[in-house]
Amino acid sequence: MPLVTDDLMAPDVMTDPHSYYRQMRELDPVFFNERWGGWMLTGYDDVVQVLRDPDGFSSDRMRFLARELSEADRQRFAPIFDVLSQWIVFRDPPDHTRLRIVLNKAFTPKAVERYRPRVRAIVGDLLGEIEGKGRMDVVRDFAYLVPLTVILGLMGAPDLDRDLIKQWSEQLGVFFFLRADEPRRREIACEGVTSLVEYLTPIVEEKRAHPADDLLTALVAAQERGELSEQEVIATCVLLVFGGHETTMNLIANGTLALARHPEEWERLKQQPALIESAVEELLRYDGPVKATVRWVKHDVTVGGKTLRDGDRALVVLSAANRDPQQFTDPDRLELTRSPNPHVAFAHGIHVCLGASLARMEAQEAFLGLTQRLPVPVVATDELEYHPAVVSRALKALPVEF
Amino acid sequence: MPTSQRLRITVDLNKCVGSTICVQLSPSVFALNDQRQSSVVDPTNDTAANILEAAEGCPLGAIVVQDAETGQVLFGARDAAV
Ligand code: HEM
Ligand code: SF4
Repeated sequence: MPLVTDDLMAPDVMTDPHSYYRQMRELDPVFFNERWGGWMLTGYDDVVQVLRDPDGFSSDRMRFLARELSEADRQRFAPIFDVLSQWIVFRDPPDHTRLRIVLNKAFTPKAVERYRPRVRAIVGDLLGEIEGKGRMDVVRDFAYLVPLTVILGLMGAPDLDRDLIKQWSEQLGVFFFLRADEPRRREIACEGVTSLVEYLTPIVEEKRAHPADDLLTALVAAQERGELSEQEVIATCVLLVFGGHETTMNLIANGTLALARHPEEWERLKQQPALIESAVEELLRYDGPVKATVRWVKHDVTVGGKTLRDGDRALVVLSAANRDPQQFTDPDRLELTRSPNPHVAFAHGIHVCLGASLARMEAQEAFLGLTQRLPVPVVATDELEYHPAVVSRALKALPVEF
Repeated sequence: MPTSQRLRITVDLNKCVGSTICVQLSPSVFALNDQRQSSVVDPTNDTAANILEAAEGCPLGAIVVQDAETGQVLFGARDAAV
């Protein structure tokens, strides 16, 4: 019996994952968790090693999931398989490389910089409505609206149905973020993914008929050049809508909470907006939206002196690496000017977040807007609740007064 | 095709996460080192246009391209340029 719990979904682990990862790292940074059925990697160097080694570690989650399910279940959950098996994030080279080269152009630091004025305007409009109210739920009233409006605009999709899209994305997230509390998680995810596909398909067809200057048109054009398949176009759209807002929403919420708990840092950012770039990096390190990701071992590999065997799976704990004292001095301290700050909140290696520059820019604008326009917020509840999930760090709500 | 312009290409190893994008876009100039980070193996072995596209494609903005003679920054972060 380990000294530290092996229940990744324990309530304490959900509220305070960082203390848990610290204990785990101190116990054994390369720990085999019998209950979860895989390795847990919590040391910075090991995490980076694995993320940078696509030859040793596969991301092909759907192939491994297919093995675990019966034929009947595979039929039942076909909508999930059909779409998610095409997602770049779950693919290995050479398919991964092909998709990444097609998508990369639209998300380079230079390309996303063009959207900054639009993001600033969206943030400004939202805060204009919020400012006078004296209270808000950061998640519902602010955090999701910024990135969702941005990604829909970038793709060239109408933003009329933001609430519906959020609801479908949440349904899909039940599966994606390993929400083990929900017994119907695969059914729910099926509903979400089917709705998103039905919503996005006519929009893609519209771009085919009437090309415009947006990302969907670029994807359709790439398909017509034979660079990706029709299924990949739709699946990518689903991933961008979903991945394009859930995570950034959580960064804005988690970051607002961290700053509300460190009022002197909120004031510092208000006085010195030039700190915004390093501040966002620190918020990503301190309490990032993606706690972990999963890899499957492709051939025996040594990590931290232990042999991981072909077919084993590994939980690569990004949030643990981000607080490894061997890499970061005083890792549990929020230090907005920390430099260098080589955190792994966006992962490393070939799957490093495609939307990293976009998310950074959105978060910079969001936190600039918040700190400039509002006084230090006070958290207006004693019981903050997180969605019970192994992978994502997602507040259910963040009510604040200011 | 080699570039006619002499370029100085630098990869900021504090930023490079080994995405391999630059290696895909300009494989005769960039290669991964033992740490699986990018290193410049031959700054002359591609067109300037391809090299600049590779630099621009870096998701971390880790690559700086300069004119080797004048030092003028052709692509990349101002602060990283020396
Ligand atoms: C703060 C916000 C975000 C965080 C923390 C985040 C985090 C991550 C992480 C950790 C990965 C790697 C997963 C793995 O290796 O298994 C990833 C991949 C990805 N992210 Fe993000 N993400 C964020 C925002 C976004 C946005 C805004 C977009 C959309 C434009 C996006 C699209 C993607 C895509 C398409 C991939 C797959 C890349 C690949 O496989 O090559 N992300 N993200
Ligand atoms: S594109 Fe950038 S992050 Fe990727 S390997 Fe090249 S320098 Fe490193």
